[in-house]
Amino acid sequence: MITRRRMMCCLAMAVSTGPSLALDAPRGPVVLTVYGRVSKPNRGDTAQFDMAMLERLPQHSFVAQTPWYASARKFTGPLLRDVLAACGAQGSNLRATALNDYRVDLPFEDALRFDVLLARLLDDKPMAVRDKGPLFIIYPFGSSAELRTTVYYSRSAWQLKSLEVQ
Amino acid sequence: MGVALALVVAAVALVQARQFALLKHTVVYQDDYVVLSLYQVEAEYLRLREHWVRATLDSAVLDRDALQLRYDIWVSRVGLLHNERAARLMVGNGDYAEPLAMMDRFIARSDKVLGTTKPLPVTPAVLARLLPELDALAAPIHTMTLSASHHVSEQIAERNSAVRQHNQVALMLTVFLSLLVLSFGLMAMRQMRLLGERQRALVDLTAHLREARQQAEAASEAKSVFLANMSHEIRTPFHGLLGMLSLLRDTGLNARQVDYLRTATESADHLLTILNDVLDMSLLESGRLTLTEEPVDLRDLLREVESLMRPQAQLKSLALHIDADPGLPEKVRADRTRVKQILFNLVNNAVKFSDRGVVVVELHRASADDGSEQLEFVVTDTGIGMDQATLERLFKRFSQGDESRSRRHGGTGLGLEISRSLARLMGGDVIAKSMPGEGSSFSFRMPLHALETAPRPSLPAATTDPALPGVASLRVLVAEDHPVNRQYMAALLEGMGHRPFFAGNGLEAVQAIREQRFDIVLMDLHMPLLDGVGATLSIRGLPDGVAATVPIIALTADAFAQTRERCLMAGMNDFLAKPVSPERLSAMFRRLFGGAQAADAAADGYIDATESGSAAVVLDRTTLDAALRAMPRERLTQLLHSFFDEGPEMVERLRVALRDGQALDLRVNAHAARGAALNFGFSALAQTAQALHEGATHVPAHEIARLIQRYEQLLAASREACEAAGLLEPVTG
Repeated sequence: MITRRRMMCCLAMAVSTGPSLALDAPRGPVVLTVYGRVSKPNRGDTAQFDMAMLERLPQHSFVAQTPWYASARKFTGPLLRDVLAACGAQGSNLRATALNDYRVDLPFEDALRFDVLLARLLDDKPMAVRDKGPLFIIYPFGSSAELRTTVYYSRSAWQLKSLEVQ
Repeated sequence: MGVALALVVAAVALVQARQFALLKHTVVYQDDYVVLSLYQVEAEYLRLREHWVRATLDSAVLDRDALQLRYDIWVSRVGLLHNERAARLMVGNGDYAEPLAMMDRFIARSDKVLGTTKPLPVTPAVLARLLPELDALAAPIHTMTLSASHHVSEQIAERNSAVRQHNQVALMLTVFLSLLVLSFGLMAMRQMRLLGERQRALVDLTAHLREARQQAEAASEAKSVFLANMSHEIRTPFHGLLGMLSLLRDTGLNARQVDYLRTATESADHLLTILNDVLDMSLLESGRLTLTEEPVDLRDLLREVESLMRPQAQLKSLALHIDADPGLPEKVRADRTRVKQILFNLVNNAVKFSDRGVVVVELHRASADDGSEQLEFVVTDTGIGMDQATLERLFKRFSQGDESRSRRHGGTGLGLEISRSLARLMGGDVIAKSMPGEGSSFSFRMPLHALETAPRPSLPAATTDPALPGVASLRVLVAEDHPVNRQYMAALLEGMGHRPFFAGNGLEAVQAIREQRFDIVLMDLHMPLLDGVGATLSIRGLPDGVAATVPIIALTADAFAQTRERCLMAGMNDFLAKPVSPERLSAMFRRLFGGAQAADAAADGYIDATESGSAAVVLDRTTLDAALRAMPRERLTQLLHSFFDEGPEMVERLRVALRDGQALDLRVNAHAARGAALNFGFSALAQTAQALHEGATHVPAHEIARLIQRYEQLLAASREACEAAGLLEPVTG
């Protein structure tokens, strides 16, 4: 618990005192909207990202076996916590909404505890909507057996459209 | 029971494994998730159709991007139905396969306008053309959704029932397990109870056994006591019997009767030995045997053993050599009778089980394991020997070497057991060592309690100065062919106060012994005409008992053991290596005569010193007067006549008994002689006869011979006294 609290503190500090890099305005089509408790909005009180903005954040990759694909696939994209940090998100819960209005709640903590990826490339290729793109919240299923349960499968929202920070 | 428990445990494990597998199955296949996908396919279908219909109505309201998004979402949903999990659920089910095929066909056609490549422009007209096909999908998709829903419901119901079943089985197994544990507990309790009962039974049994053992021990002790009493009771009349047998001998028997009597006496003697053994054994067993310690002269003791055993050894042509360590104390504190008994037994066995060679008795100091000083008698023979098994049985009751031995050698078989028991009672032991065919060695050890003795005046003088007479002057016959040696020996012996006589060869020596009395013969082994061994054999074979038993010492430069053995075999008493030193000669004389000075004195002066040193009267008038009052003078005279007439015959019998080593004969005759002499008041004669009687078994042969000689002389003296008293007519002529 102490560790977790410390991490939270660290994150809070990073958000408040970190590089005062103002969130750019999106130039291309908006692929993700973060709203709610966001301290660095760039359009109204929401933080909006186009694909280029997400691409500029540090990129991570892993290969994992998932229920949605028959074989193990490679996922690439920024970490969810980097995205949240970029827009100064602070909260306890994230409500993810997909293009089809599928909604699921993720504990804010998940983004800190796990290297949750906001995948934008599948096998190094952009994901079309019909391929569950363009963004896919994906937990590092290969790293821990704890994650390979329905709870985390259901939290892995695909065709992600927006995140509400609560 | 154990098997049942194992089976139940295995069954529980199986049920749990299956439940686990079932849960895993659920997690992996996520059938319900597939149902959700189907619902979403239907929902997206409905949203797409709404957009699609609106788009066909008016191109102005056609939101291409929105339609495209709805279309793509729907296609992605349909795509999900193609993955293997969904396929597994829907395989072989027409409700799925057909709608899926229809959807795929529609997607293939509409992709021409809404697909990624978009070959055709999206216009309301194109969309309208595809609309009927889109509409046609509504019913199959709905059917598919319902069907999947039902299917999953069934599966869930099935799974639930399986879980319920498993639960029931698990419950039953648990109940069974409980029952088993319960019965195990009951069994354990029963075992505990049985164990307790058995332990109580064992305690009872132990008590019974202890009691039984005590009873048995008490009974055994009672038997031993009874046996001891009976043996003692038997001995008393038995001594009477022996006495009567000895008296019977003097009643003028013919040769045949004498022979019978001899056999009877031998049997009686044997019986007495057995009785003594049994008595000793029972006393030892009942713990009532006590040792009576007294000062014992060790050399005396050995002389007794020698005198009793030499005749037996000679009968079997065995040499008997007795050797004592000169450093031993003269006197020790010990139970004389019992020590003698053990030695007699050991030597007797050695003689009994040897048919040739030599029996050696050695006495020396030894130290016990705890370092205390011990006296060790070692009796070694060259007899038949024993193997290990026989040795182990040796000290067991009634056992001899083996059955054939028992038959050959006779005996009670108690001897060694008694000897060992006695030795252990003394704080020592008897230990046997042997090899088959190589003779045996018995070691008897006992604690050494040396006694300080006032040194005899002669002893230290003799040790330091051999010229001083250590013993009384002896008549010594030296058989030696070499003149220089003769002169040397003469000087030596005269210097020691003895009277030397010389014989030039064996024949002369034998002749001299026949004609004169000598105290000792020093016999050279190498002589012309007849050598020392031959001369010794001749002397030992002489009919005259005194002459035949004269001590003979071999003189030779040959120091080989075989020579020594040959000398001892021939009947020589000891052995002196040439050149003869005064010390050794002196020590030899002391050994043979030193402890018997009284006897030497008696031999010289024929005054009785064997008993108290005071000379007994030849004729005790008081007794004779009493006899005269008891019977007419003529009757007494007649009795005296027959007594004196039988006198020479008695003397001869004593000598023959001495020569033949028949200690019992000697005793019986001496006893008879004593009785008769006492009746007439011949005190000195009776005393001599008694000395003979008592010393028969343990006094050296040459002393017995002296006593017999003295008896002979006293017989004459008594007759003269009777004649002087007027009871007998002087013998004329």
